[in-house]
Parts: sequence; structure tokens; C-alpha cells
Amino acid sequence: MAGMELLSDQGFRIDGRKPCELRRIQSKLGVFGKPDGSAYVEQGNTKVLAAVYGPHEPRGNIVKLQDKVVINCQFSMATFSTGERKRRPRGDRKSMELSMHLQQTFEAAIMTELYPQSQIDIYVEVLQSDGGNYCTSVNAATLALIDAGIPMKDYVCACSASYLDDTPMVDINYLEESSGGTELIVSILPKSEQIVFLSSNSRLHEDCLNKVLDMAIKGCKDVYLCLDETVREHMTQVSASFSAD
Amino acid sequence: MDIKLASSRVLRDSLEPVGPLHLVSPGDVITSESGFMRGHGTFMEEGGGNLKASVAGMVDRVNKLISVKPLKTRYNGEVGDVIIGRIVEVQQRRWKVDTYSRLNSILMLSSVNLPGGELRRKTEEDERMMRDYLSEGDIISAEVQNVFSDGSLSLHTRSLKYGKLGQGTLVQVSPSLVKRRKTHFHNLPCGASLILGNNGYIWICPTINEDTDQTGGFVQNLEPVAGGDREVIARLRNCITALANHGIVLFDTVILYAYEASQKYSVKELLQSDIMKEIASLSRQRMEQEL
Amino acid sequence: MAEILMSEAERTFILHGIQDNVRSDGRGCEDYRPIELETEVVSNANGSARVRLANSDVLVGVKGELGKPSLDTPEHGRLEFFVDCSANATPDFEGRGGEDLALEISSMLARAYDCPSCLDTQALGIIKREQCWVLYVDILILECGGNLFDAVAIAVKAALGNTKLPVITVRKDENDETELEISDDPYDCERIKILNAPCIVTLSKVGNQHIVDASLQEESCCLSRLMVAVTENGTITASKTSGSGSLNPESIIDMLESGKRAGTLLNKTLHAKLLEEEVKVGTKKKTMGFLT
Repeated sequence: MAGMELLSDQGFRIDGRKPCELRRIQSKLGVFGKPDGSAYVEQGNTKVLAAVYGPHEPRGNIVKLQDKVVINCQFSMATFSTGERKRRPRGDRKSMELSMHLQQTFEAAIMTELYPQSQIDIYVEVLQSDGGNYCTSVNAATLALIDAGIPMKDYVCACSASYLDDTPMVDINYLEESSGGTELIVSILPKSEQIVFLSSNSRLHEDCLNKVLDMAIKGCKDVYLCLDETVREHMTQVSASFSAD
Repeated sequence: MDIKLASSRVLRDSLEPVGPLHLVSPGDVITSESGFMRGHGTFMEEGGGNLKASVAGMVDRVNKLISVKPLKTRYNGEVGDVIIGRIVEVQQRRWKVDTYSRLNSILMLSSVNLPGGELRRKTEEDERMMRDYLSEGDIISAEVQNVFSDGSLSLHTRSLKYGKLGQGTLVQVSPSLVKRRKTHFHNLPCGASLILGNNGYIWICPTINEDTDQTGGFVQNLEPVAGGDREVIARLRNCITALANHGIVLFDTVILYAYEASQKYSVKELLQSDIMKEIASLSRQRMEQEL
Repeated sequence: MAEILMSEAERTFILHGIQDNVRSDGRGCEDYRPIELETEVVSNANGSARVRLANSDVLVGVKGELGKPSLDTPEHGRLEFFVDCSANATPDFEGRGGEDLALEISSMLARAYDCPSCLDTQALGIIKREQCWVLYVDILILECGGNLFDAVAIAVKAALGNTKLPVITVRKDENDETELEISDDPYDCERIKILNAPCIVTLSKVGNQHIVDASLQEESCCLSRLMVAVTENGTITASKTSGSGSLNPESIIDMLESGKRAGTLLNKTLHAKLLEEEVKVGTKKKTMGFLT
């Protein structure tokens, strides 16, 4: 990465953003007919599709829980999603780890006690990967759950942040991820500002931790505003056609 | 052979909402006043007095009860609903029925009528003959008798108009598109019968004669259906799919309008998205005029 | 694929309908459902396409990489097919659930494209015995609405037609060693000629008749099916029967004839649409993708 300046002298990043600017978010609910809920989210060049099935009778070897619903997640990446072709879409350690993280995240947000002895499946498929896979997956899964009408305490919004060239930056893309700095991923429930999931890798000086964390949380709240706008627009459209009664 | 490019995709019309809508999304505060009872789709905030929404939908306020109706959800049954279901499992003295709800519904052996409408206690022989009457894959129309504590439904077919369904086509739509009405069984003038299940399953079949054919499903007619009737059924199926794709609530009136609007096209042309859109908007306009 | 449950009466209804040439959605026995096509949907791939055939949704990405040619064709490049059934389509495909179907589809495609006249693989060769283009065709199945093989084949043909490979010049440098120079110019690229690439037509036998483009319900009524890979001029490059039933030799001949008719029509219409799409790509085209 020699010669690649992550932050120019005027304060612009590689893709022309300012350090506190998010990538452009575009999303849509109800992309497919068969799943109970589905959503598509684009954050910059990262594109993710999420599908939710349920709640339904538990299938296969899943053990029924008497007091709450079983949440089953699968994270998968298309083989053409990355710059270098990926051999296996899922089943490798990274994907299994991300599937587990998704499950933990959504167990905290979905009101699981409302559906005892049932199962909810959340399937995430990354179509194009340019950094922030986990964050976009969480955002897409949240929209898919809302589309399926599954009760949640709040939206779950995720965002990444990093500390590069002595500046905290939000929503890092692939080039910034691979430059060697730390990557802090945070998912929160925006209204109550409760952190549902937090992970970081690489070294980060504790003096910078607060700044980077604050930047990530603010990023999540901005993501929430974008997602909420999409949901409201979708609802207005659909309810307008229901009004003839 | 019809191949279209995505760039010439027909987009849904942007509709203007009629009247103010109170739309909420998960986590939104509905009200901070106390004294309200909370219904489906709401929850009390921990440690605070706010009533918050847990799903995205319209706020429905009936006196002191506030609930939020989500736009799309699995079927939530209520006593008295007419539903159409498919048998998925035969167990001892009961059948498990798929009704697109979160748990499979149950049809007890004691809740069905025996051949000929006999009413007597079921014996062991009846238990062994269960599979002869209803086996996996069969479609039935039934009414919700009871809702169990875990949320699953108990069905009954204790009337000759319910029971196993014969030849016809099943169309699946979202349950929110079928509202509760006085009757769900319609004999359409165009030559087919329609059963609108509250759970979103819609059954289209050749006209049911009230007197001769209502046998509770014990007599199955496997004779080939006439070509004319078949076309009517196919046309109705395509019209219902067009209406459902555009989110129009389904009644016998709006389905008939769509049927009449579709007459100028051949049945298979109705599968194209631009023609579906035209039919949906024509039916919607006619519905609004008639109101 | 998981069999969907159906009652005997429903099966009888569908069977009689097919005999009368009026299927449950009004189509005739040789009619396809409406198809929607889009190319250039994935930017990380050299070529991509998305096809919607009623409810079936397939996304294909083609990536070209440099590799060694196979021993029996030292001057030719090669194609490798990989099918991934996403769990988005149905929960049965979770984990390794869709692997059988994926294997069936990828081996059928490999045989269909194996014929030397389909695709000019010699144009993909760079240095004899040393380097060639390997095109990895990755297919992602997003939704299953019946007749997956046809949808996949259409998407693969469209994606290959959309593929742009950078131009490579072979030079000898000072030490007399061969050197490959890959052009950096995004507009300086080679296209693949897909005029003779095949499309797959699946013919399902229901009762005494056979139908083209079966929906999910019709597929569960049919006991045996024949898949043929047909090119635009009517050549059959591969065929395969599947299913638990058996077929009469006369029915197979009839089905092959229908397959040829349907296949040539499909290829012609597809080709015309791909040319139309090319022209649009030249001008400023808005990618519809999943957003609208």
C-alpha cells in the first residue's frame, strides 16, 4: 500500500469522504416474495441481501425452547463478491463466527419471549464486498425482520470506525480496512444507545478509544435515520393501497 | 416467449395516502400518557412510562386499547375465522395442518364429521381409518374453533360446507390482504367458486352446487374439468395474483372487477407485469368510484 | 429439490389441464413465463447477469483469472462452473442442504459447454501449455420458483456475453523470456462470442404430455424430465434425463423435438435482447438491480 494516502492534506479520504461521513446508504424492503421478510442494503459498494423465515415450527434437529424462540442465522458471501474469487461461500471459520455474532446481536433485540417453541431463520448473503460486511449485514437483517413483522425492542444499527493517520474515521471501506489500522465494529439499539455487540482488532491506544467509539456510535445513529426513512416510505406506500376498505 | 430487460421494468404507482396515517417503527414512542392498555405490537419501556411500538405498522386505537398492526405478518388466528389449510402430519386422533401461522394448527378427530354427516363417538376403527379420509398433502377448508395457550389453533369442520377440497387451484397471498367478512364462500357469476381463507390461502375451483356437492369432502370428484371452466379458473388465478402483487385487499367485488378488466387479454398475457399493473389500477379506480 | 406437498385432487387437476393444453395459469404446453434480464449488476466481476423467471431468481458472476491450461487442450482456455444455492431461496438450502442440486446444475452446464463449437475456448488461450484464461462462472440461486436449469442457463449465457477481459499482449523481454502485459485501460478489452452458446430447456413429462417451463406445482406432479442444451441453430450439445420415472423412446423423440423448437426460439429472443442491452450499456444506463 505504499504511496496510498488514507487522508489527504485537505482532509479527504481515498473515496472523497470526510472522516466523519458515512457512505451512501440505499435500501429496499420486500425484495422477494417467498421469505416472510426480505431486504436489500447498499452501503457504498457493499451490497447485502437478507431474508427472514418465520416464526415457524422448528425444523430438523433444532431443539424447541419452552420459553422463547430459537434464532438461527447464516452468514454467506457470494464467490464473486470479493476482488479475489472466494472459494467457499460459507462454512469457513470467519463465516461461522459472523453467523454466531449475528445470532447474539438479534437475540438481544428480538422479543423472543413472544414466540415460544417456534423458530426464526435469518439468512444473509453478501453480493459485493467492499468493507463493513458485518455492519451492512446487521442493517439488512434489521430491515428484513421489520418487513417480516417480527417484534423488536428497537432497530439494530451497526457501524465501523477506525483510527488512521491520527484521525478517527467512520464507516471504513476495504482499502482502509486492509491498511493495518484497528477496526472497531459496534452495533447499538439507537433509541436507548445500548451497545449490543462490540468487537475490535489490532492495537488501539486507550486514549483514542473514546473518540473512536463515539464516532462509531454517532455513525450508527446516522444509519438508523437512513433505515427509518426507508421503512416509513415503504409503509406509506403499502398502507396507501390498503386504505380502500 | 417474453424476455424483458430490467431497464424497462414497470414500477409500481406512487399512491397518495388517504387521510393522515399514524405510522410507527420499532422503538418509537406511541404515547407517554398512562391509562392505556397495551395490545399487540406494543411494549412498555423498562423503567419508564412510555408505550413503545415493537413492529412497523399503523397504530390502531380502540377506546383505551392501543395496538400496532404490522403490514405483513404470519397469520394470527381468531375464533370463527374461515381458513384453508394443508395436512402435514397424521397423528394419533388428530391431524397437523399448515395454515401459514407460526405453529401448525390442529384438527382433532372429534372435530370432523363422519361420512354422511353421522354424529357418534369415534371408535378405534375410526382412528385407524384417519389416513383414508385425510392424508398428508390434502387441502381442507375449516373454521377456527379455539386458540390454545401456546398460540396454535384448533380447527373444526363440523359443517357440510367445510371439509376436504377437491379439484382446483390454491393461491397464496399475504394474510393481511383478506379481511374478515360475513361470508368467505363465493359462487362467482363467471363460472367458478372462490373460498377466501383468512390465512391468505385462496381456493379457486369449479362452481360448487349448494345441494349436490356439499358433502363435507367425502366424495371426491376426479373427473376432468371442462375446458371453459379451466380457463375461468386460470384467469381468476392470474387476476388474484395481479391484485395481490399490488397490495389490493381482496373481496369478491374487486376480484370480479379485475376479472372483467382482464377480458381483453388472453389468459397467459395476464402474467406480464405491465398488464398486471394495468388491471390492478383499473380495479382500484373502479372500487374507489363505487365507494 | 424438496417436493412440495400436494393433494391427489390438485395433481389430477394439473394433469388434466396439461392434457387440454390449458395449464393452471393459462399457458400452453410450450409457453414460458415472463423473463426479466439485466447485465452488469456486480462490479467486482468481469461480467455478470441477473435473470428473473417468474419466481426464480438467479445471479451469475464471471471472473477471469490466469491459469494453466488442461493437459489435453494445451492451447485452449477453460470454463469452471460453481453453483451456490443460497438459503435465501428456501431454508432447506441452509448449510450443505443445496449441494445435491448445485452439483446437478454445475455438471449439466459443464457438459453443455463442453462442445467445441459452443464457445471459442482457443481465443482464451494465451501461451501454449503455460497460460490461459480460466473463466470462473459463479451462479447464485436466490429464489426457487421452478425450472431452475433454464433460468441458470439464460443467466450464464448473458453473463458470458457481458464479460470483458483485459487485452493481453505476449512479449519477449531482454532475457528472451516471455512476458505478459495486461492492459490497464478499462475500455481496452476482449468480449466473448456467445452466438453459439447453448440454452437449457427442461421438458417435464406429466401424464402423456410434456411441458416446458414447469412451475413448482407442476414439477412435483412430474415423475421424469429431460433437459436438453440447445444452441441457436438447433444443435443439441448435451441432454440428461432425471427423476424417478421412466420414458418411452417415442416420448423422448417428441420431447427432443419440442426442446429444439423452444430452445431455438429462446436463443433468438435472448440474443436480440442482449444486443438491445449492449446498446443501452453504451449510453448512460441506470442499474436497476434490487433497488427498484
